[in-house]
Amino acid sequence: MPSEFERYSRQMIIRGFGEAGQRKLKAAHVIVAGLGGLGSPTSMYLVAAGVGHLTIIDAQRVELNNLNRQVLHWHLDVKRSKVRSAIEKLQAMNPSVEIDAKLKKITPKNADGLLRGADVVVDGMDNYRTRYLLNEACVRAGRPFVHGAVEGFVGQLTTIVPGKGPCLRCIIPKEPPRKSVFPVLGTTAGVVGCLQAMETIKLLTGIGRPLVGRILFFDGESANFEEIEVRRNPNCPVCGGV
Amino acid sequence: MPITVKFFYNFREATGKDRIEIAGTKDVRSLLNKLVERFGQKLAEQLYEPEREKLRNTVNILVNGHGIMTPHGLGTRLNDGDVVAIFPPVCGG
Ligand SMILES: [Zn+2]
Repeated sequence: MPSEFERYSRQMIIRGFGEAGQRKLKAAHVIVAGLGGLGSPTSMYLVAAGVGHLTIIDAQRVELNNLNRQVLHWHLDVKRSKVRSAIEKLQAMNPSVEIDAKLKKITPKNADGLLRGADVVVDGMDNYRTRYLLNEACVRAGRPFVHGAVEGFVGQLTTIVPGKGPCLRCIIPKEPPRKSVFPVLGTTAGVVGCLQAMETIKLLTGIGRPLVGRILFFDGESANFEEIEVRRNPNCPVCGGV
Repeated sequence: MPITVKFFYNFREATGKDRIEIAGTKDVRSLLNKLVERFGQKLAEQLYEPEREKLRNTVNILVNGHGIMTPHGLGTRLNDGDVVAIFPPVCGG
């Protein structure tokens, strides 16, 4: 469609991107699990970039204390479901993207089914129990999983491609204690969520070198990014046999 | 050749260092003991539960990129040239 050429013209002229890259995005199905501080920017940038099919999953309702960072949800959305609030804005941003919303809590029973058909799954969760479920389901399906997490001024990010690099369990083997309230600045989530969208676009188009086998730490206080190498654990209970 | 230890976030605060080199540590346990000796109580509190018997579950340690399972992982052997990273779990989203 001519309007799509116009809409995506500025990214299609990036060297190596072109119409071929855009077609890959259009053909792709991405799942963003969690529509909070990370899932908000991730889903917005993926929709703006023209990912053809986006599934958003979240079981929660918008609360007033979400609004400092969950930029998809606005003042009048308080008490509405996050998926309702999100799909409205995302669809208005880009009507040509197919978006479906699942008002579901991710559980060990439904994880495989919920993620079926996705080319990439993006981690927008706020706890490791669910992150581990997503990690396991992605490893079982051989599906890339883009992990991100934030707290205060700091964040971390890594891209998991099963069989090619470590999974989340290889890197963080034990479940960290769950916090019901964590400190976080909206811009920290913005940085990491945006980078998760970037990783997703790289995976889908085949451009660049994804963060596989590396974890990137972002420290907003000192404005510093630092990566360290991470490796597969051959005895990993999740990906050891992959 | 010594081993390199990289600190992140609160561990960087507690030690005042991004990274150090340290020699003569045979495993992760002896490394942490040396670090506590050198950097004192604040680091000890961040690493260990109050009785100092157990690592806190807010401590992630990678040895050459491999996550270690604590507490068993404290026995993970260290060799010259190894790189150890110590960082907290960042949880939110
Ligand atoms: Zn693994």
